[in-house]
Amino acid sequence: MSALALCGWIALAFGAGTVYAVGAEGWFGRANLAAGALALAAAAVRAALRARGASASAFRGPLARGAAGVALALAGGVGLERAVTATGVRFDWSFERRFELSEATRRALAELGTVEAILFAEPLDPRARSTRLLLGELAATGRLRVRERALGEAAEEEDRFGVAGSNTVVLLAGGRSETVDRPTEGTIYEALYALRAREAGVAYVMRGAGEGDLSDAAPGGYSGLAAALETEGFRVRELVTATGAEVPDDADLVIALAPRRPLREEALAALERHLARGGRLVAFLEPGAQSGLEPLLARWGLASPDALVVDPASGALAGDPPGVNPLAYSYATTHPIARGLDASRMTFFRRARAFAPRPPEPEDRVQGVVFSSPRAWLAEPGAAARDGGPPPRPAGAEEDYHPLVAAGRYARDGRETRIVAFGDAELASNRYLRTLYNLDLVLNAALWAAEREPDIAIRPKAVVSGRLQLPLPVPDTFTMFQGLGLLLPEALLLAAALAWARARSA
Amino acid sequence: MRPFRALFAKELVVLFASPLAYLALALVALVTALIFFDHLRVYNQTLFLYASTNMRGFDTGSVPDYVNLRDTVFFPVMETLGITLIGLVPLVTMRVFAEERARGTDELLLTTDLSPGAIVGAKFAATYLFVAAMMATSFVYPAMAIVQGGLGAEHLAAVFLGLTLHAAALASIGLACSAWTGSQLVAAVAGWAVGFVVWDFGWVASFQLVSEDAVRFLDALSLHLRYGSFAEGIVSLGHVAYFVALAAFAAALARFSFVWRRVSGG
Repeated sequence: MSALALCGWIALAFGAGTVYAVGAEGWFGRANLAAGALALAAAAVRAALRARGASASAFRGPLARGAAGVALALAGGVGLERAVTATGVRFDWSFERRFELSEATRRALAELGTVEAILFAEPLDPRARSTRLLLGELAATGRLRVRERALGEAAEEEDRFGVAGSNTVVLLAGGRSETVDRPTEGTIYEALYALRAREAGVAYVMRGAGEGDLSDAAPGGYSGLAAALETEGFRVRELVTATGAEVPDDADLVIALAPRRPLREEALAALERHLARGGRLVAFLEPGAQSGLEPLLARWGLASPDALVVDPASGALAGDPPGVNPLAYSYATTHPIARGLDASRMTFFRRARAFAPRPPEPEDRVQGVVFSSPRAWLAEPGAAARDGGPPPRPAGAEEDYHPLVAAGRYARDGRETRIVAFGDAELASNRYLRTLYNLDLVLNAALWAAEREPDIAIRPKAVVSGRLQLPLPVPDTFTMFQGLGLLLPEALLLAAALAWARARSA
Repeated sequence: MRPFRALFAKELVVLFASPLAYLALALVALVTALIFFDHLRVYNQTLFLYASTNMRGFDTGSVPDYVNLRDTVFFPVMETLGITLIGLVPLVTMRVFAEERARGTDELLLTTDLSPGAIVGAKFAATYLFVAAMMATSFVYPAMAIVQGGLGAEHLAAVFLGLTLHAAALASIGLACSAWTGSQLVAAVAGWAVGFVVWDFGWVASFQLVSEDAVRFLDALSLHLRYGSFAEGIVSLGHVAYFVALAAFAAALARFSFVWRRVSGG
């Protein structure tokens, strides 16, 4: 390589580096790139002339073969890369499998037809790379077109879509738009779902006897459940039971969120009439509470003894003694509500009661859907822990799979009544709804009750795990790994010193 | 095969008998440690800042989601390491062909049973091995972040693979540069220049004369783009093929340099 070529490379590197750093072609970058290109071209011409002058006919063959080898390597390399890329084979080795699309996301995309996604990001935002990969994966389905805009480049669009910061995705379909400011597969899925604008029916939520509050955004509230139901297409309305009014005819679903006070007789009678005419109910109970729902459910074959499920297979969770908060991993997988749930997709119950499902009539289908471990037993609702272990097992209490969620279908006068009963309400609270697979269980139960089985799915998680947000003290890290982290450079420097000494003495 | 093995072994011995090689390895380990601990310090400070402002301790709800070990420490360290390697790898590769050429021993090599292709193959293989060792030393600190952050062994493997392929690509570029000159300095500078240009063709988009298609084409050739997806935990065979293709092209160029020298006499 000649000095001219060297100068050319230096100028080229400085030119490219300047343009890259500044983001615009200034006079310095332009001049360096031009000078570099000229110097390299001149060096190439000079080398070619020298080669021509020096080459005899005997050299032409090897020269042509050598050049052909380079061309062949280039063409082969490009061909190989293109061919392998076309296969689309890639492995997602990320901790949470962030780039493997769930069936629910694919289905939401398929229902929408063609969707356009615009990513607004600052050029050096490291989060945008992950978002680009995710959008690339979605685009590979053939149903999503992706555009990218530098933040601040299209102020009018940013205002229109309410883009608040870098790494924001706007999804457009059918003249509607949804803005996602923390793009993960889960949040994009929720936006796609909202874009579908599908009507799933009306869900009435009972109020007036101390039930869970769907407008309460506190950790103990249920605003998350309301939002999730709306995302699924339900219109959520309140049903004030204190007046003893009838359940409206347009109710596709009634939700009872663990009433803390006894329901009025009129309200229970109205609910009974709703069920008798083919109505749907999702009821959440709590151990130790008697609201009047329990005898109603018992008449439909979903009796629930007022007892606490103690499952020693579950450890001390949520600050409670071991066993009182069951971590469920046994499901009736043939039931639509449990579709997609398995031993690795657990659900978390915060103090639960159990059911003893028994069909009231031979044609009725009543069964448990989610079960405790086989080591569980029933104890008094207020049973206390002993010596740091689970509450003691009462005499005569049997260890068994206890249903924590049960469901029933009842054919009455040509209509079908559906009831799902949960032995715990806290699993649907804001604090625990997105814990493990609680959201999927609760929503799938509502969808099954509303006879929307095709929409039952395991949803991608909106919150990405694996993003550790705890401090990692430098001294601890340093101390923990100093054996390797410091020994290695030290050993290498010692080896360098020895190599130098040996070379000197040789 | 025997002469090939002999040359491969000789290259390794020369590499590891040189203090420069150990210095390069130690330098990579120390530079990575400095980058890592600096990012870790900033990450911890940011977390403490949020914790003290919100008075809610390390409740994840009070810290913005972009402040996390992966996005604040691990990815930036990988990014910086990728750029740092552009400066370090040519220091290792500059000697491989240029020194032989300066001493005239390359002519001696050609008198053996070895073809130019075999010579290039042996030197490339030995350098790749050294580069892999270099990456192993540089990976100690980022790896501990992943292990402590609970990101998983598979993710760790993906990042290490990406880092090694990236370093091997830079080594290929450096070797091709070394093959075309008798000066180690020229080889190193050319390796840096080409490395920086190929790292990210995003700068091309700044030119109004360059069409969008050309920008997209060049962008697809960027090392940064290919390397980045490994850091995210994605192992795409297309990206692996890109690095293999780059190495093959660099080897072909190095091989051609032998023919060219014979013809041009340079």
